[in-house]
Amino acid sequence: MARVTPSKLLNFISPKIHLYSRVSKESCNLPIVTALGQSFQIRERRPAAPKPRFPLWFLKKERVQYNESLTVDNKNFIKEVSHDKFGPPAIISGLSTYDTPSPLKEQPLVKGEWTENTKRCGLITRKIGCYPMWDVKGRLIWSTLLQVVDNHVVSFIPSENINSERKNRKAKNPLGALLIGAESCDPQKYTKEYCGLFAGAGLPPKRFLSKFFITPNAKIQPGTPLYATHFQPGDVIDVAGVTIDRGFQGVMKRWGFKGMPKSHGVTKTHRRGGNIGGGGEKARVWPGTKMPGHMGNKRRILRGLTIWRINTKYNVLYVQGLAIPGETNSIITIFDTILPLRKKKQAPAYFPTFYPSDLDDPLPEDLYENSVHHFDAPTITFEEPK
Amino acid sequence: MSFSNIFLRPFHTSKECYHIIKMSRLRVVDNSEIGRRAMAEGKPPKCIHVYNKKGVGTIGDKVLVAILGEKKKGILVGVKKHQPPRVPKFDTNNIVLIDDTGTPLGNRIHVPIPVMLRTILKEKTFAKGVDYTKILAIASRFV
Amino acid sequence: MFSNLYRQCLVEKHFVYNLFPLCKWSQCFASSQPELATESTIQAFEEPEKRSIKLEQRFIYPEFLPDPKIEWRNSIRERLERQDMLKRRSQIEIPEFYVGTIMAVTSFTPHSTSKKNRFLGICIQRKGCGLRATFVLRNIIDNLGTEVAYHLYDPTIEKIEVIRLEKRLDDELFYLRDALPEYSTFPLDMEPVILPDNTPIPVNTTQVILKPRPWVGRWERTDFKGINREHMMTLISDKMKMQIAKHQKPWEKYDLMKQYRATIPEEEQKEIFAEVYSQLHQLELGKKKSKRIRTFVKPKKSA
Repeated sequence: MARVTPSKLLNFISPKIHLYSRVSKESCNLPIVTALGQSFQIRERRPAAPKPRFPLWFLKKERVQYNESLTVDNKNFIKEVSHDKFGPPAIISGLSTYDTPSPLKEQPLVKGEWTENTKRCGLITRKIGCYPMWDVKGRLIWSTLLQVVDNHVVSFIPSENINSERKNRKAKNPLGALLIGAESCDPQKYTKEYCGLFAGAGLPPKRFLSKFFITPNAKIQPGTPLYATHFQPGDVIDVAGVTIDRGFQGVMKRWGFKGMPKSHGVTKTHRRGGNIGGGGEKARVWPGTKMPGHMGNKRRILRGLTIWRINTKYNVLYVQGLAIPGETNSIITIFDTILPLRKKKQAPAYFPTFYPSDLDDPLPEDLYENSVHHFDAPTITFEEPK
Repeated sequence: MSFSNIFLRPFHTSKECYHIIKMSRLRVVDNSEIGRRAMAEGKPPKCIHVYNKKGVGTIGDKVLVAILGEKKKGILVGVKKHQPPRVPKFDTNNIVLIDDTGTPLGNRIHVPIPVMLRTILKEKTFAKGVDYTKILAIASRFV
Repeated sequence: MFSNLYRQCLVEKHFVYNLFPLCKWSQCFASSQPELATESTIQAFEEPEKRSIKLEQRFIYPEFLPDPKIEWRNSIRERLERQDMLKRRSQIEIPEFYVGTIMAVTSFTPHSTSKKNRFLGICIQRKGCGLRATFVLRNIIDNLGTEVAYHLYDPTIEKIEVIRLEKRLDDELFYLRDALPEYSTFPLDMEPVILPDNTPIPVNTTQVILKPRPWVGRWERTDFKGINREHMMTLISDKMKMQIAKHQKPWEKYDLMKQYRATIPEEEQKEIFAEVYSQLHQLELGKKKSKRIRTFVKPKKSA
């Protein structure tokens, strides 16, 4: 048995690597060519999900809840301290949270100028269900309700600091990032380091965090609350969420295969996929072949959904369609669409975000898109023929 | 395949039972000579083609039927299959026989027909094509 | 005869109140009861009135209770949905009705020349929660069975009239499709029958006679009370008779978890109706006022 030493292998491969590294960019577009000269196609509909990596701002979140033998007085004292720091507990727009004083009272919101290349931040929402609405012509519209759950800006990360440790890439488009947190929580639940993330903004720790890439002119001061009216009815958005986890599934459920007949001599192969590859020269299974496996629990983005209606009291967005990924009560992030024909051509009504003190009168409870029928409007009639 | 055989299947078949596809039996609801004779003799027409992309007919679709050894065209004016809200669903699959110019062979329809047929047939009628709206004139009642 | 009807109705209500207090739809468990109670049991089940005021509303407004599937529930969504329902109810009068009630729906449609459409029929199904509540009407027009489904909160509906308010023995009447045509034939110009105030809803105890097979459903395997069972047995084959026992699920009435998952807890029902009670009450008062005005105007016109 001849043993291949690493140095021999390297000698064998290195000229080829040298060769392929010189190939011009255009010819690389077609099949992916490996270092050993093999080529293969990716036949799955979507590329495999990237390896999950923790973002740089990720810190250990949950604390071990060991028994500290605190007396009732001590517990109350700790509660008092956290209430002094973050404000008294309150129910704001249907969610239990802390009535945190806004830092914008001292320093007002700095507003940038909107240009066509501007990228605004998005929101963290909870999918709370679906229900029908009707348009002014009496046609049925299905909508999904997304509630903006107590969103605050946690921090702004300038473009220089983004991914600087992980990848030494030059930022062509100098995008910064906003860290948004949702759902204020009891600080005792989390580690000191995690709570420290929010200290700069004067906020209690948040249950969910999300990073949105923005252009520097859309920057918002940390501590600013975000509302559903960040968007307007009629805006087009993209939604991202984690799909329903269906576990390990066969090909009929996962890929919609037909299966095989129940009878006519078929035994033990009623729900199987059948053949997975040919013989001959390429006697192997192609990468990306549809096979049984884990279904769901993947992050998916649905683009180009219209906002039909906004409830300003509970911060609820009524978004087009029933296909928004995830179960009811799961977390969904939403942001302005990147579809070239449907993205914003004019400055949004509120830039960089909506702030209630900008308006003299409070907004009405329900904001509707023009083509949507109001539930308290009279019955839809059609014109009599002339 | 008899009707009872379909019911013994382990999967749900009632939806497919109501599909109007090739070989489905239909009911002529106008008073055309051939249609009346076919229904009286117990030989209802059989659909041999559905003129749409799906192959499953619904309200307002044109079908080709085999009736008493002849080939005739007809318009579906009411179907059995499940319908969205506000659209009527009937107990039988009804057709009105027409000729190639869209003129109905009979001069009266003796069952109610859905009101949305008025819009559907108007949309299908073009200036120099077949005029389907003539069957609306012989309808006795809309629901 | 009428007193008998009323008594049965009372019995039924008491069953639902006491034995199945969590039940959402009025008759879904009542129909699974083997036999109706006697008068003595009614008195035994006598309850203070206070409790029944709010719980009674779940028969009149069943769609105000959310879908009991726990994965789909969210209190804020349910509240928003209820508010939208009340907004629509402030525009049109949605009357109290049950499966078996004869109703007429007038709706606006762009297709008709008069831009209006009226359909009269017997309600054979009422289902759905919240804004997706629907009902199905059936009638035989020109010897052709016709069914139309409506969304209860559809904004193109102009008017929902109750022609004859009554209940049937079952909570779904799809067997009328296979029954003789006279059971679902109603003249389109039927005159409304007005029940005096505070009378219990009469229960129509007719048992329909089915047409010979083929049918749209396996009625012999169901336990619908409104089908004439003796006659039905003459229509089916011996093989089908043998299979009836195989498909029965006698253990289901003891499955407490199944009942629990299919219902909204009593405390939550009270909470929900306490929230909407005042507004619904206002709407009802307005309804009565407008009725009185209408009855006052009519004789003037005729004179």
